[in-house]
Amino acid sequence: MSDILRDLFPLVWSGMITGCLYALGALGLVMIFKCSRVVNFSHGNVAGFAAFLIYGFSSGVLLELSWGAAVLLTIIAIIAIAFLSYAVVSPLVFESDLTATIATLGIGLIAQGATLLIFGADIVSLDLPVPRFSTAVLGLRITGYDLTVLAVAVVTIGALFFVIDFTKLGIAFRAISENPFAAEVCGLNLRSVHLFAWIVAAILGVVGALLIVPTTFLSVTTVAAFMLQAFAAAVIGGFASLPGALVGGILVGVLMNLFTFYVSPEYSSTFLLGLIMLALNIFPNGILARVEGFRV
Amino acid sequence: MSDQNVSLPLSPVDQAGWRSLISAQVGTWLLIAVALCLPLVVAGSWVFALGICFANAIGVLSVSVLVRYGGEVSIGHTFFSAVGAYTVAILDTRFGIPLWLSVPPALALGVVAGILFAWPSRRLSGIYLAVSTLALALAVPEIINNADGLTGGYEGLYVSEPLVPGVKMSLQRYYAALAVLLAVTYGLARLRRSRQGLALLLSKSHPAAADAFGARQVWARVAVMGISGGIAALCGAMLAFAGSTVSPSGFTFWAAIFLLVGSVVSVYGLTFPRALIGGAFLTLIPQFLSASGAWIPVLYGVALLGVILAGHYLPRLTQAMGRRKGGA
Amino acid sequence: MDAATNALTGQGISLSFGGIKVLKGLDVTFRAGEITGLIGPNGAGKTSLFNCLTGAYSPQEGQIAYAGQSLDGLSPAARAGKGIVRSFQHVALSLDLTVLENVMIGVARNHHAGWLNAFLPLPRGRAERAEMERAAMGALTDLGLADAAHSLPDALPPGMLRLVEIARAIVGKPDVLLLDEPAAGLNNSETRDLMQTLRKLRSGGLVMVVVEHDMDLVMSICDRIYVMNFGEFVACGTADEVRRDPDVIRIYLGSDDD
Ligand SMILES: Nc1ncnc2c1ncn2[C@@H]1O[C@H](COP(=O)(O)OP(=O)(O)O)[C@@H](O)[C@H]1O
Ligand SMILES: [Mg+2]
Repeated sequence: MSDILRDLFPLVWSGMITGCLYALGALGLVMIFKCSRVVNFSHGNVAGFAAFLIYGFSSGVLLELSWGAAVLLTIIAIIAIAFLSYAVVSPLVFESDLTATIATLGIGLIAQGATLLIFGADIVSLDLPVPRFSTAVLGLRITGYDLTVLAVAVVTIGALFFVIDFTKLGIAFRAISENPFAAEVCGLNLRSVHLFAWIVAAILGVVGALLIVPTTFLSVTTVAAFMLQAFAAAVIGGFASLPGALVGGILVGVLMNLFTFYVSPEYSSTFLLGLIMLALNIFPNGILARVEGFRV
Repeated sequence: MSDQNVSLPLSPVDQAGWRSLISAQVGTWLLIAVALCLPLVVAGSWVFALGICFANAIGVLSVSVLVRYGGEVSIGHTFFSAVGAYTVAILDTRFGIPLWLSVPPALALGVVAGILFAWPSRRLSGIYLAVSTLALALAVPEIINNADGLTGGYEGLYVSEPLVPGVKMSLQRYYAALAVLLAVTYGLARLRRSRQGLALLLSKSHPAAADAFGARQVWARVAVMGISGGIAALCGAMLAFAGSTVSPSGFTFWAAIFLLVGSVVSVYGLTFPRALIGGAFLTLIPQFLSASGAWIPVLYGVALLGVILAGHYLPRLTQAMGRRKGGA
Repeated sequence: MDAATNALTGQGISLSFGGIKVLKGLDVTFRAGEITGLIGPNGAGKTSLFNCLTGAYSPQEGQIAYAGQSLDGLSPAARAGKGIVRSFQHVALSLDLTVLENVMIGVARNHHAGWLNAFLPLPRGRAERAEMERAAMGALTDLGLADAAHSLPDALPPGMLRLVEIARAIVGKPDVLLLDEPAAGLNNSETRDLMQTLRKLRSGGLVMVVVEHDMDLVMSICDRIYVMNFGEFVACGTADEVRRDPDVIRIYLGSDDD
């Protein structure tokens, strides 16, 4: 019993914390997918680029700003990138969602190359100005970082759901996700809603990247690799459901933690593969709404 | 909502008639003749690079065949090419088995791996399938590294057994890869005319209609993945032989994406010249840019977007031009 | 006698989508040797009934049998194997294939050369292809489409595509032929030719059902006509009987002149 308390609870707790970050990433993917049926494979690379921009703006590599100003400037840059990306992808969205999805891979490659070109392949460290303390609750060590992540995730996700539920744009977003054709007939502008989703997703990506980097370090691949767990989270959550992405993120965080601790740290990607295949097959209807009704 | 299939910028049969078909054939034969003579004139390092280029061209075909016949996109084909590569490499280093004996099991294992992957994902399509192939690609390097007893782990394996003893090894590498590439394009040309090929193509665009004429959707999916996995395994086998080493760094997630890039750049073509375009793109650009590696992803990304957007805008542009001409 | 044993029958077929009843307990007998018409306004459930008969939809209730053998639980492909073939209301041809190749798919179920034949130039595969081409060319010639055999569907007008769709259905010598709006999009002379072709096809063993909005066609070639509305049969009988039926006049024939 005490063994379980000693191992399991901390594992679940830290899994939940990283899970919140996966959820942030997954929510961005789901936002875009829900309204336009495009999987944004550039998500991770663009978010990684954003993390490097913050580093560049605050460390003197590009500029020497305060942390807050660097974040603000980065968010502006990222919104511009989201705008550009959507401008490139948008003509394809209405033709074939799979072609548009492939195009996002191209954007991801460019973001990856740009990061390499500007910042090089070296590892840098990017810290987060968080309160440094830790307390023990029931044998659980809770740090200032944990609480920051939790607070930021709750506020961000809360704000997101508020926007989607109560603002005009959010309602349009829901309408278009339900039935794009009917929504367009009703005079809703598909493109502006798509753009809204791309921009929100990009900001969520920046927030997620900012919060994940302190746990490791920053290199060209770290954030992209982190976003892959976000993919798993989105898939497990159903890819078309925002609450699903949240649950999926936390589930992936906790399960990965348990797997690496109890089974093997070497096979975590294989475990993720198994998890994705299992999720896609056990809940094919929840995940694959389009499999059911076809017409001839 | 937009349709599920990948839109193809060009139609497979040029319906202007036989004349252009014949000239295309002549072009292909010329290209084959050039490929056959090339090692006599170019430097050794080029012969080596071209061997790898042929192997990559096979990999590009494996992705294109999935797009053409299945309407699906994969970003995880390194899984299947790794199967082929390690089959050849392990049989070579462990048992001294030469290529001509190790290619058939590599092909068979690739087909089996394709089918094994297709079965649980038989109901997935479009982006759902793409995401599960992504997971497949991610697991590959990890599996190879951890099975180091068999695969040589991080360091990899060295393929040294000659195909024909006594012939210069560099020539063997070149011609073996070229021969397999030609065989694959020939087989695919036959497939296009076969009963199975027709059924697969109908199933891609009208699964319910194919079903009503006896070609089950599940059959179609499993068959396409089996074919595609088999071709990818041939790509791996030839990469192992032509490149003489096999290591996990050749089968990363990025390598899988590059295969897709090559396929897009060749406009999903299944002919020898088209496959060569894709293979050359994957092999020769890194060769030229080896000094400034950071430009490679940028260039690939731009090329990918460029081809896709050209596929989108060109038909419209020519239509608009035609209209203007008609009006004048 | 032959006609009775080789009938395609449905008993109590009920189908609903999310609570909406599309077919409401239909009993039907489509006899061999006859051409049966199935008419009714749009949304009546005609295509849905075809989908149930071919296995594309699984009705919640009811049994479907052909020649006394139950078809329940069989996949569309398995039913195709039993000779039950259909055409589609929305032309379902592959744009990657030529007209000839599209029609060749109609005979695919009669051929079984293995996978090696698909990749290698083996005699069996070649013979199969030649045989399929010959049959498809025959069907295209019957429908006056021989000239278009090597075109891609993209290049043809809708009326011709409709005929290709029908050619694909009839080329395999089916035992049950379900045609969904075969004359939609055809001009008058094409419709007349189609009527001739369908009459010629009528044989002792063939169950033929035609869903059609063209009343002239239905009235002149069908031996028996079912009239459907809101998922139910309103009337059933010969052309004359149906034409005189007051319900039919009210809901269908009299409503407008289409
Ligand atoms: N796959 C489906 N999902 C939901 N409703 C359907 C589906 N197929 C048919 N329906 C409904 O069933 C009814 C009958 O359609 P259909 O059989 O196509 O009519 P018809 O062919 O007589 O015009 C329509 O109301 C249609 O909306
Ligand atoms: Mg209908």
